Amino acid sequence: MFVIDAHLHTCLSPCADLDMHPSALTEAAVRAGLDAVGVCDHNSAENAGAVERAGRTAGLAVIPGMEITSAEEVHILGLMPDMEAALELQSRVYRALPGRNDERAFGMQVVANEQAEVLGFNEHLLAGATTLEVDRVVEAVHSIGGLAVASHVDREGFGIIGQLGMIPAGLPLDALEISRLTALPEARARFAPRDEFPLVCSSDAHEPKDVGKGATWALLERPTIGELNLAFRGQCGRQILGGGRPMEDLALHILDIAQNSIEAGATKIEIELQEEPDADRLVIEIRDNGTGMDQETLSRVRDPFFTTRKTRRVGMGIPLLAEAARAAGGGLEIESEPGKGSRIHATFRYHHIDRAPVGDIETTLMVLLACRPELVIRFMHKVGEETFELDARELRRAGINPATPEGLAAVRQVIRRGEAEIR
Amino acid sequence: MRVLEAAEAVSGTVVACAAAAAARDVRGGYASDLLSDVMGNACEGDLWVTLQKHVNIVAVAQLKGLAGIILVNGRHPEPDAAARAEEEHIPIVSTDLPTFDVVGILHSLGIQGRRSA
Repeated sequence: MFVIDAHLHTCLSPCADLDMHPSALTEAAVRAGLDAVGVCDHNSAENAGAVERAGRTAGLAVIPGMEITSAEEVHILGLMPDMEAALELQSRVYRALPGRNDERAFGMQVVANEQAEVLGFNEHLLAGATTLEVDRVVEAVHSIGGLAVASHVDREGFGIIGQLGMIPAGLPLDALEISRLTALPEARARFAPRDEFPLVCSSDAHEPKDVGKGATWALLERPTIGELNLAFRGQCGRQILGGGRPMEDLALHILDIAQNSIEAGATKIEIELQEEPDADRLVIEIRDNGTGMDQETLSRVRDPFFTTRKTRRVGMGIPLLAEAARAAGGGLEIESEPGKGSRIHATFRYHHIDRAPVGDIETTLMVLLACRPELVIRFMHKVGEETFELDARELRRAGINPATPEGLAAVRQVIRRGEAEIR
Repeated sequence: MRVLEAAEAVSGTVVACAAAAAARDVRGGYASDLLSDVMGNACEGDLWVTLQKHVNIVAVAQLKGLAGIILVNGRHPEPDAAARAEEEHIPIVSTDLPTFDVVGILHSLGIQGRRSA
């Protein structure tokens, strides 16, 4: 399982922050707990190689690519199998990209190495449009073995639907990208109600602080274009499990806490999410039978710099959830005892302006079940008077085994139906 | 005609850089929602009528030395576009009228479309 933010800009993009040099990008990505990133500057891949080298040192997989502007001013991500392919795509784009950059109008286009040294300035008008129509952009990406993803389809400016009014029938896009503006359940209803396209979430970060604020969870063997292609098609057991806005969506806070539980040896997890608009209350409760925590750990666990994790690089689950609850007029309680497990209870004021959106529960459950098919998970989601319950043992009794691709697909349908019914 | 007078003629309000709106002369007009088309074909001193509201419109207006930007259909600039317009002294006007009516009114007041050389 890989967490991927496939759309990041570097200081090469005229609109990006100058601090977004290759090693700053990879550091931010590692901090955000990402496994892989896509480097997609506007109409150029000149910094992707440096990010790839910085990523190798940092243990981060890097997919080189670019965000191409079509003649109709539609942004298309070309995610490429390797640097050679990315540079071949770049030379085709450069041949179709008129104009010279004006730094005063659009900003600097810095070519940098992985030591944060400036190597030079790109002189092409990277903020401009190519003379390639959108179908020719997709064709160019495919002919060099890449994947073509329509950028931020939920945004009007430079989004394919905003610019063209629709996704042209027969355009062989590999996936649609959803920006941070839209939660995944809403995006599914708007852009892929019958699973017409796989959806990926990414940050489109232009500065280090935004790296990883949008991410996609993918079930892959390795973070390569070939594997991602299989996942987009749902073949060979590869699939896109979901996505969203880490550190914001409550569903992803829940995922993070539940992953803590798994790392603490839990075999059973119970998750409750209660939305009570009439009572102006939202409650999250997560109970597990993991190793639990002693008094000392318990007293330090809200400190964001404290983590018991050894395997993953981030251990921010509880402090961030506590902060999100506090910001929304609520709070967080933890009960835990070594050998008995933990209970985390967070409350929010439902209508509080700073209450984070719920996000996509389907992602939370799919990631947990895909990673740990044997996990005894019970989930309850209440919205007003309506309740959706999912019990892993009952799924098994009904002959659904999340360890198989078919079983996982069946689980997804159960979750999607259940979540739709309570909305 | 100044940008401010054009704004009043199309029942619009100046939403960014009022000082420049009062000072700057309109020498012609251009209407397009494709930024590359504006970069290729608009002339210096043109008042640009568009529905695009992202930050790149300010960069294009600055690059081409446009008199200002009129956003149609009740659109407002995105926050970073408005901030950039203040910095770069590019007036932005917002009107509820659609492009067709805005262009019709401006044309009747003697503002002409021109071809860049």
